[in-house]
Amino acid sequence: MPRREYQSLLDSAVDAIIIIDHRGHIEQFNRAAERIFGYAATEVLGRNVSLLMPAPYHAAHDGYMDRYQSTGQARIIGIGREVRALRKDGTEFPCDLAVGEVQGSVPPRFIGFIRDITQRKRADELLRRSESELRLAQGLANLGNYVAHGDGSEPDYCSTQLRRILGVDTAEERTPVTELLRRRVHPDDRAKLDEAFANLDAEPAEFDIEYRIMLADGTTRYLHHVARLAHDESGRLLKHVGTIHDLTERRQSEDEARQLQDRLTQFSRLSTMGEMAAGLAHEINQPLSAIATYAQACLRFVRSPDRDDTDVLQALEQINAQALRAGEIIRRLRNFVRNREVKRETVECSRLLDDLRTLAETDARLQNVRLNVEVEADLPTVNADPIQLQQVILNLVRNAIDAMADCPQSRREVVLTARQLPEGEIEFIVADHGSGLAPEAAEHLFNPFFTTKAGGTGLGLAISRSIVRAHGGRLWHTPNEGTGARFHFTLPAATASTGE
Amino acid sequence: MIKEIKPTVFVVDDDAAVRDSLRMLLKSVGLPVEVFDSGQGFLDADRDDRPGCLVLDIRMPGMSGLELQVKLNERHSILPIIFITGHGDVPMAVEAMQAGAVDFIQKPFRDQDLLDRINQALEKDAGSRRMLAERNMIRKRLESLTPREKEVLDLVVAGKANKVIAGDLNLSQRTVEIHRARVMEKMEAHSLAHLVRMVLEVARAEE
Repeated sequence: MPRREYQSLLDSAVDAIIIIDHRGHIEQFNRAAERIFGYAATEVLGRNVSLLMPAPYHAAHDGYMDRYQSTGQARIIGIGREVRALRKDGTEFPCDLAVGEVQGSVPPRFIGFIRDITQRKRADELLRRSESELRLAQGLANLGNYVAHGDGSEPDYCSTQLRRILGVDTAEERTPVTELLRRRVHPDDRAKLDEAFANLDAEPAEFDIEYRIMLADGTTRYLHHVARLAHDESGRLLKHVGTIHDLTERRQSEDEARQLQDRLTQFSRLSTMGEMAAGLAHEINQPLSAIATYAQACLRFVRSPDRDDTDVLQALEQINAQALRAGEIIRRLRNFVRNREVKRETVECSRLLDDLRTLAETDARLQNVRLNVEVEADLPTVNADPIQLQQVILNLVRNAIDAMADCPQSRREVVLTARQLPEGEIEFIVADHGSGLAPEAAEHLFNPFFTTKAGGTGLGLAISRSIVRAHGGRLWHTPNEGTGARFHFTLPAATASTGE
Repeated sequence: MIKEIKPTVFVVDDDAAVRDSLRMLLKSVGLPVEVFDSGQGFLDADRDDRPGCLVLDIRMPGMSGLELQVKLNERHSILPIIFITGHGDVPMAVEAMQAGAVDFIQKPFRDQDLLDRINQALEKDAGSRRMLAERNMIRKRLESLTPREKEVLDLVVAGKANKVIAGDLNLSQRTVEIHRARVMEKMEAHSLAHLVRMVLEVARAEE
C-alpha cells in the first residue's frame, strides 16, 4: 500500500492506532491517538510506549516485551482487554486495547488499537447505579414490581424486592409470578385474587386489591397489589405489569396502635372505678345493711311467742332480693373493669342505660345530685361495645356531677337523655347546671391529659371521643339552657332490624 | 288532760330496702313506725311536732339528711335525730352532731345498737316534752297575773323584802302581802324557792 494511503487510513481511524518496535518504541501514532492521549505524534515517536501507561502497567510493560521476545508468547495478542491509559496531562482513562503482531516483520513489531471507553463506562455506571437505587427504593418502600408474560414467550421479570416479599427460593426461580402468588395466597383471600386475575381479561383490564399471603415459615403478609395489562407501541398486547406493596408492617402497627388504645381505655375504666371506690362501697353497703336488718328483724319475729309467719316470709324474701341486688352491683362492676376483648354486639339503649344506672347513681348519691334518665320509648338498637359505651356515658355523667360541686341544692341535677334524631341516629345528651365551660377549658377539652380536676387523669373525654368515633358517631358540647353544659354524642342505629 | 300520743319512730331513707328493713325491725320490737322516702316527704307530713324520734339517712339525693336537719331546726322541732351513715361519712356525722343530733350509727349496724339509741332518743324526747309542757304551764300562770301582781313578782324574785317592795311601789306593806299571796296561789308555788325556779326556767328559755 502506498505510503500516503497507508497514512490516511491510519489517520481516519476512530480508534487510536499505535505501532511499536520490538523494544517498545513508538513508530506510528495516528490522529486519533493524538486526540485521545493529548500528545502530538512528534512528541512520542521513538519513545517507549510505556509512557502512555499508568502504574502498574507502566513498570510491567518492559517485562511483557522481554517475555514475548524470549518465548514467542504474548498474552495479550489476539485478545482485547480493558486497561487504563495515561494522557499527557496525567489523567487516566479506561480503554479497550487490542494488540496484534505486524506480520512478516523481523524483528517483530506490534500494532495496538485503543478505544477510549470513558463514555460507555459512565453510562454503564449510571445504569448500574439507577438499578441499585431502584432496588434500594423498592427495599425502603417494601414495594416490588414484576412483568408477567402470560404466553411464556420470555421468563417473567420479578424485582429483587418482590422476590424478598414473596420469599421466593431458588427452586422457584423460573416460576411465573401469577403462580408464585397463587401458591402463597391466604385461603380466605384466594377467591379475591383469582377473580382479580380473571378480570384482567376484560376492560378496564386492571385491578387494585389487598390480600394476605402465607409464607413457608408460617408468617402472614398483607399485600397491596396493583396490576394492569400493557401493550406495545403498535397496540399489541404484550404482558401484564404490576406492583406489589408489602403493608404488613403498617397493618401490624395499626394493630398495635389499636391494642394500645384498648389498653388505655381499659386503664381509664380502672382508674374511674378507683375514683368511684368510696361510692361503690356505699352502694354495696346498702343491700348488705338491709340484709342485716331484715335478718335481725326475722330473728325477733321467730323468737316472739305470738309470731306472724307472713312477717318472717316477707323478711326472708327481702333478704334474698337484697343479696341478689348486691351480687348484681358486683357483676356490673366486674363487667365494667374486666380486661376483655372489644366486641360489637346489638345493644338495646334502654338496657344499656339500665345497666349503667347503678354505677352512675353511685356518684350522684355521693355528691347529692339528682340523676334523671329520660329514654325515648322504642329506640332502635345500636351496634356497639356495650361496656365502652357505658364508659363514655359514665364519664360524661361524672363530669357533669363534678361540674356542680359548688352549686346550690336546687340546681343539682343531671339529665341523661336518649332519643332518635330524624336522620335515624341515636343521640345521647348529658346536661348539667354547673358553671359551664370556660373558653380555655373548651379549647383543650379533648386533649389527652388536660384536666381541671385535682387527681383527674385527663383521659376521660379524649378516650370517650375516640370510642364514639370508633363507633361511627360524633361527640361535642353545647351550652345548656340557662347555665351549665350539655355533652352530646351520636351513634348510628343498627341497620339490621331485629325481629320486627 | 288529753291522753298522750304514743311516741313514733320516723324513718327517712331513700333506699327502699333499707327503709323497709328498718320498718320491720321496729315492728318486731313493737315500736310504732312511719317511713318516708325523702326529707321533703317528711316535712310535708307535718310529723315533726309529734313525740318520737327521727332515724335519718345522712346521704340522700335531693334534700340530704343534713339539710332536713337544718329545716327542722328552723321549724324549732325538738324531735331527736339519729343519723345513719355509711363508711367515710364521719365528717358529715360530726357536722350533724354539732347541729344537735343525738347520735349517729354506721351501716350496717347491730339491731341492738340501733334500738338502744332509739330508746335513749325517745327518753330524751319525752323529757324535752315534759319540760316544754311545764314551761308552757308556767307561762300560762304568768299570763294570769295582773300587771300589779307581775310587778310584785319581779321584785320578790329579785330578793326584796315586802317592806322594800311596798316602798318601791308606793303601796302599804299589807297590800304587798295580799298581792304576794295571790301570786303564790296563781303560780301554784309551794315555796319562794319553787316560785323563783319557775320564773328563772321561763326566763332562761326566752333568752
